[in-house]
Amino acid sequence: MVENVCINPDLGREDKDPEVVTRMIILGPKANVSESEVVNQMHLLGLPLTIKQTCYGAMVSGKEKDVITAIKEVRKMDPYNIFTKDRGFPPGDPRRCRGHRKGPREGFHQMEKEFKLLGFVSDALKNPKEVSLEEETCVPLEEFEEIMKECLEEENLDKDNIKDKEHSENKNNN
Amino acid sequence: MVKVAIFPPNSLILADLIERKGHEVLALQKAVRKKVKDPDIDSPPMNLTEEDPIKGLKYAAIEVPSGVRGRMSLIGPLIEEAEAAIIVEDAPFGFGCIGCARTNELSIFNLRKRGVPTLELKYPKNKDETTDMVNKINTFLDSLPKSSESSENSEILESSDSPDISSDKEFKEDD
Repeated sequence: MVENVCINPDLGREDKDPEVVTRMIILGPKANVSESEVVNQMHLLGLPLTIKQTCYGAMVSGKEKDVITAIKEVRKMDPYNIFTKDRGFPPGDPRRCRGHRKGPREGFHQMEKEFKLLGFVSDALKNPKEVSLEEETCVPLEEFEEIMKECLEEENLDKDNIKDKEHSENKNNN
Repeated sequence: MVKVAIFPPNSLILADLIERKGHEVLALQKAVRKKVKDPDIDSPPMNLTEEDPIKGLKYAAIEVPSGVRGRMSLIGPLIEEAEAAIIVEDAPFGFGCIGCARTNELSIFNLRKRGVPTLELKYPKNKDETTDMVNKINTFLDSLPKSSESSENSEILESSDSPDISSDKEFKEDD
């Protein structure tokens, strides 16, 4: 891992500009667009942006206003399956770029975990509905006993009533 | 528009949902970006300078490991800036870039101590739990006041978004 701490970033002027922001565009698992379509769409906007296609979607860097405009346009392609988040490091920064490291970049594992939920999140956004998280459990024994007693008592009362009625009818007939 | 702090502070799902609702997310990446672009940092591969643990003393005692104080020097100011907060607990081990358990505890403690409107959730494991989490977050975000002077960023992001699950009329009337 010596390489990781010895890399000189050698950033350009754009990378050092505090007004320049970097955003990651991450496609959900149910996305109807591909990474290249997203990148092409952003190139067609003609904005002064640095765009990099990645395995998860794209990375876009530029002035904040331009980046937000680009994201807005791209999101129109598939509003429920395109997610974005900020990124601290500029695209291709050797401190984070996987090409210069001996393993996954920082943040990969988090994205891997969150990607598993992205499909559910897009479903929830597309079709919002109330869900019940209460699990069905067995009726406790004590409660069951009480219910049974009540039922039996009611049954006995009904039987007694019927018998009384029959008695009274018989007496009347006699 | 309200500044919403999140925990885990670099969560994609939380940040995206907050921006969809037109609020400003206080994500850790923004604090990191300031560090990355700072010309004063002498050793570029290192994000933290020797001054950061000293700044972190505001949030953690001197006996606390310097790693915690260094992390708190980035997360602490975000927490102080927060006007609302969303905390998701029980995230998988190693979630995000702060695997330090003590920093996580301190961050959550500070967020709760702020006394701002806070939504606390558990990390979802299946579809129903995720749907429930998204519903709760959207309802919570709708209940936050929206200022008329929202930034261009939020207006743009808000326009392309998800249908409202619920809305709080009281706050809208206040606007």
